[in-house]
Amino acid sequence: MTDLGWQQLLQSISNADNAAGLRRIRESVHDIMISRLPQQQTEPFYGELNDVHDAMVRRCIWLAQKELARLGKGNPPVPFAYLLFGSGGRMEQTLLSDQDSGMIYADPQNEADAVHCRDYFELLGKETVQLLLMAGYPLCEGNVLSSNPDWCSSASVWKARLGEWFREPAWEAVRYLLIVADSRCVYGSAELHADMMSHFYGDILSSPLIVRRMLDNTMKHKVLLNVFGQLLKEQYGADAGSLDIKYGAYIPMVNAVRMLAIEANLRETSTLGRIRLLEQAGVVTAEDAREWMQTFRLFMRLRMMTTEKLEGGQFSTNGKLSARKLSKEMAEELKSGLKLGKKLQRRVYRHTMGRL
Amino acid sequence: MVKKSLISLVALLVLFPAMAFAEDPSAGTLNMGLNALWVMLAAILVLLMQGGFILLETGSTRMKNAGHVAGKTIFTVGLCSLIYWAVGYGIAFGGEGNSFIGWGDFFLNPAKASVDNGLPTTIFFMFQLAFAAVSLSIAWGGFAERAKLSVYLIFTVLFTALIYPVISHWIWGGGFLAKDGAQDFAGSTVVHLTGALAAFAGTVLLKPRIGKFNKDGSANEILGHNQVFTALSVLILWVGWFGFNAGSTVAIGDGFFGYVAFNTQLGAAGGAVAALLISWAVMGKADIGTTLNGALAGLVAITASCAFVDPWAAVVIGLVAGVLVFFSARFFEKIKVDDPIFAMSVHGAAGIWGTLANGIFATQELADKVAVGRGGLIDTGSWHQLWVQLESVVICGAYVLVVSFVLLGIMKFVMGLRVTEEQEIAGLDLSEHGNYGYPEQLKKASQNIQA
Repeated sequence: MTDLGWQQLLQSISNADNAAGLRRIRESVHDIMISRLPQQQTEPFYGELNDVHDAMVRRCIWLAQKELARLGKGNPPVPFAYLLFGSGGRMEQTLLSDQDSGMIYADPQNEADAVHCRDYFELLGKETVQLLLMAGYPLCEGNVLSSNPDWCSSASVWKARLGEWFREPAWEAVRYLLIVADSRCVYGSAELHADMMSHFYGDILSSPLIVRRMLDNTMKHKVLLNVFGQLLKEQYGADAGSLDIKYGAYIPMVNAVRMLAIEANLRETSTLGRIRLLEQAGVVTAEDAREWMQTFRLFMRLRMMTTEKLEGGQFSTNGKLSARKLSKEMAEELKSGLKLGKKLQRRVYRHTMGRL
Repeated sequence: MVKKSLISLVALLVLFPAMAFAEDPSAGTLNMGLNALWVMLAAILVLLMQGGFILLETGSTRMKNAGHVAGKTIFTVGLCSLIYWAVGYGIAFGGEGNSFIGWGDFFLNPAKASVDNGLPTTIFFMFQLAFAAVSLSIAWGGFAERAKLSVYLIFTVLFTALIYPVISHWIWGGGFLAKDGAQDFAGSTVVHLTGALAAFAGTVLLKPRIGKFNKDGSANEILGHNQVFTALSVLILWVGWFGFNAGSTVAIGDGFFGYVAFNTQLGAAGGAVAALLISWAVMGKADIGTTLNGALAGLVAITASCAFVDPWAAVVIGLVAGVLVFFSARFFEKIKVDDPIFAMSVHGAAGIWGTLANGIFATQELADKVAVGRGGLIDTGSWHQLWVQLESVVICGAYVLVVSFVLLGIMKFVMGLRVTEEQEIAGLDLSEHGNYGYPEQLKKASQNIQA
């Protein structure tokens, strides 16, 4: 596809009138991206794909606001920011990512405003999530969604919640904090989000216990290699022989790099961006950074290859790569990548424990 | 007072006249009594291993078959006892036979007590019967969760009369392999390999359980319903194994049975440890099922060699068995053989390894002491014993395999081996017995099936 064609596509997203239109565009994007997958380089591929997803989210927010106005709910009473978490936050969404979102809005002036704001943004969250669902973005199973009041609140409530999580080093609070670490403002007031993240990083640097617990969570997923350096394949079931690329390669590396980035107080969310900044900050050598990025690109490419087209024309993925899709050369490449991932995990562990 | 005592004494003499003439028992009688007591205790321990098999097989299979799997063992042990008494014992140990088959002593009517201070035949029978029943229960591993109850009935008869006692005769009953010097102290081949190969024939002819393999050939994991049962079963079997191995000295003697027990413990320990570690190393997670199989594989392997090897070798034999059982289980799954209780790996692969291990690790000193065969490769530098061991494995294996396939093949043709798909899905508790082992949990599910 030419650049012009791509621009037209993005344009058509921002012109779409409803979820059904967005869904049609999304399906054609699927087909285009799948056909481009073999030739295109990984980074530009994800870059363009995430531009599409972002454009979809923005359009849905816009449509939702319009719908609320039509229903007589008016316009947003205060500035707000729509946040993406998870792979959306990291700009690493695949063709089939689900929704992980939240909203933050400026503190209302008084009690009456507070009620009005709460009602308005709750509706806005619900409407946006619904539109995205209809456009083909499934809901987050953990209910991390802007339609959930827990993830849609004013700046001061957000800060209070962050404070609570920092005071309570339970696994759940730590998980939420790690989710927030990957947050990205996709629409609205970037300052609101930046202000919240300043709060986040200010608290983190004074909470060694939280950092210790974050490390435990970060190390939770094991890399897919056994002690003999062989790939750990699924033993049983319909996926027997396949590799869990998502949880055995991609996520461990995302987690390890995130941990280093948090400790270095870097506000970047994409994993490759984090590695670049870690290199600039002198945390990793240029040689290491190059290797890590090369490995992470491989994991991203393999992750994209886990997508399957089903009979009905629908796409699906379970994050697992069937062994028959993996050439011998790629398997070797994956093995050395996973060795690096293992080394990286050990390094993060030593690094973090050394600082505490 | 004196008068009272005298009356009591007279009364006692009237009641127990023998006391008046009792002599101290001879050293020979005492020796016999001790031996008899030890072998009887061992027979009880080996019989108690059936409790282990009940829990092992039940824990490793699904809830809907629990009552059937557990209860049928009691039935088959009963039937096995009658058949072994009527036929099996005579084929194995009957005095009028030749090198290939024992004959005589059918419907055994033994002397009521010891003859010439030898081990009472009754006790020897009990001990040998318990072994036959263990071999049979091993075979059931291959039949689990899908064979008809009538198959258990018929095959118990055939196995106890025609399969097990023949092998037992060849190696333990003065048969041709015994004359060759084949070493199988307590039955790695006779009991375990025999049971495992019958299980193999059974599972191949029955075909895999519904849902075990997918159309594309990949395997599904059919998890047992109670890992605690399975773990407990391993401990029961482990303890019972002291009767199995140490009891196979069939005498107190100079206390050598203690050494046999000692090696048995080392073998089992090696198997358990190696299996956990290898599963952890290869799969990234330490697998409990593999660990339990490893302990059993260590026991199976050391069974042949427990009286013939040094302690270090017992450890090595156990460690190798633990690793072997892990890879063997993966191998059978790869070739699409459904082995629900891992009988082929635990009793088959480890049984072969244990028998061959004699040819490598047996010492001349212990071979002389037991008075069977010679020292193995490491001690003597000679390949002779290893060759004899290989020969006994191949010959026994071939016999069991061929006869099991033929007999079960005929049964399959005549009566069918497997329950219907509907019965298998509903569970054998319901289809074969009309009642669930876990009624509260399963009543609801069965109503759904009938609806």
